[in-house]
Order: sequence, then C-alpha cells, then structure tokens
Amino acid sequence: MNGSNRLAGLKARPKDTTVEEVRRVDEVGEARGFLDRTPRKKPGRKPSPRTHQLHPKVFPKVGEAIAAEAERLGITQGQLIEQMWEKWEDQ
Amino acid sequence: MPVIVMASPKGGVGKSTCTVLLASEFARMGADVTVLDCDPNKSLTRWASHGAPSGVTLKSDVGRSEIVPTIRSADGDGKIVIVDLEGVASQLVSRAISQADLVIVPMQPTALDAEIGSEALALVREEEEALGRSIRHAVVLTKTSAAVKSRVQKELEQQLSGAGIDVIEPSLVARAAFSELFAYGNDLTAMMNDPEMMTGGKVDKAILNAQAFTEAVYERLK
Repeated sequence: MNGSNRLAGLKARPKDTTVEEVRRVDEVGEARGFLDRTPRKKPGRKPSPRTHQLHPKVFPKVGEAIAAEAERLGITQGQLIEQMWEKWEDQ
Repeated sequence: MPVIVMASPKGGVGKSTCTVLLASEFARMGADVTVLDCDPNKSLTRWASHGAPSGVTLKSDVGRSEIVPTIRSADGDGKIVIVDLEGVASQLVSRAISQADLVIVPMQPTALDAEIGSEALALVREEEEALGRSIRHAVVLTKTSAAVKSRVQKELEQQLSGAGIDVIEPSLVARAAFSELFAYGNDLTAMMNDPEMMTGGKVDKAILNAQAFTEAVYERLK
C-alpha cells in the first residue's frame, strides 16, 4: 500500500463551521449527555504581584535598600525586618 | 484531505492505539498526518515523546474551544487529520464529530463496550440530522482474540450489521506490540527492526494487522 499517489484519491467533504452550526452541534450533544466538561478554573483571588513596597512612610531610598538586601539574601523583606528586630532586642 | 475522529465515551477501548496505527501507516504511505491529542491522559503525547514517525505531527492539549479551529487549520492538501478524543461524553466529542469525514468507534467485544459505544453512534446520527449532511461512521472491534472468534464477538458483529452499522474488517487483535508502542514510540516497523527491542509479541503479525486495518479505513475515505 505504498505510494502517495493513492492518497490523492482521498477527499474531504466541505463542512460549515459557523457559530450557528457549532451551537446546534452543542445542543444535540447536550441532549444526549455530551456536556461541557472543560475543567473550571480555580476560584478565588489570584495572589497579588510583589510590589517590593515596605511601608508608604519609609523613605524610598531606605525601602529600596531593604528590598535589595532581602533579595540578595534570598529572603522576604518581612524576614529581614524580623532579623533586624532580633538584633535590636539583643542590644 | 480527510479528518478521522476516534470516538467512544468509554475509556480503554483502543482509541489511542487505532490513532497511532493509522497515523503511522498513512505517514508511511506519504501522507502528512496531524494527530490531535484531546485526551487528558495524553497517551499520544507520551507515545510521541519517545519519538514520532516521520510525517506525523502531534498537537497536544486541544480543548473544547480550540477543537474546531485546530482541525480547520491542520486540514489541507495532502494532509490527514486524526483526532484522538477523551473517553467521556463531552461537547469536545460532539464538536469533533461535526468536523469528521469518518468517525471510528473502537469497541472491545463486550456488552458494556457495545452499550457505551452505541452512545457515540447515536450522537453521530443525531448530528447528521441536525446538520443535514451525512457523517460516515464505522465500528472497529479491538483487542480481539487472534486464535478464535468468541461467541460474544460473533453476536456483536451480527447485531451491528443487523442495525446497519458498518463494521471494519479486520478487527484489531490483542497484540503486545500494540500496547508496547506507547513505551517505545515511533512505529511497528521501527520496533521490528530494532535489535535491542524485546517484545513478548509477534511484531510481524501486528504489522500485517495494522496494515490491513489501515487499508480498510482507506477504502472508506475514497
């Protein structure tokens, strides 16, 4: 059964793919139990993107320095402040 | 060029196996075959990850909203599109059927497979009515015995023929090589020619079965 010339004899029938036709197909399927089973997206609010904002009243230069140091250490700014607080208390 | 859709709301009937065999054989004939993996189990994606035969292109993760435009974009001169559907009753299935030139319903020769598979056949007929055009469809019996035709299989074939349903001959025999293809990738010929490939089955018999099955499908697409 070799030979691409044999494949030239294969034909596709013209098919409409209008919105109306898809709707009709969906209706026929639903009547027979062929429903939309697309997995629903996870509900709830998506996590906010990190803004690197420390506190609105911290001077920008200080905030940027803390953000940069936290990033260098691979920890969050909150963790860095916790470490700083521990050292403050030890003094 | 034609769009072939494998449909059955039941899982494990051989939809992916039929897809791999047809894709490999049509590619061997020189066709540019696009295979759409619409099954969340990703059987075809796993098969292709081990290496797909030359001439076969795989598109994965095709969902309900993408199925119609994906089939349309993959269709073209010299191209054959084969859609492997999920084994559930979904709108993805009904939409894919509406785009088919041939719907193949694989069925193991069991009463349960026949009962659930008949839902797909009924859906095809209802879509034909709704769309006002015929959609060719056929049943292929899968995982049949190589040695003897069981009583259940004979009865099922009689029932299907009696109901005017086209039954593809030959059936696909239960061959170890068919299931091993998913772990090996590529096609049966590559498997047979690989000296390192150890299989418990007869690959040459599997190749003959796959070729005869593809020939029968080809006759229905002319």
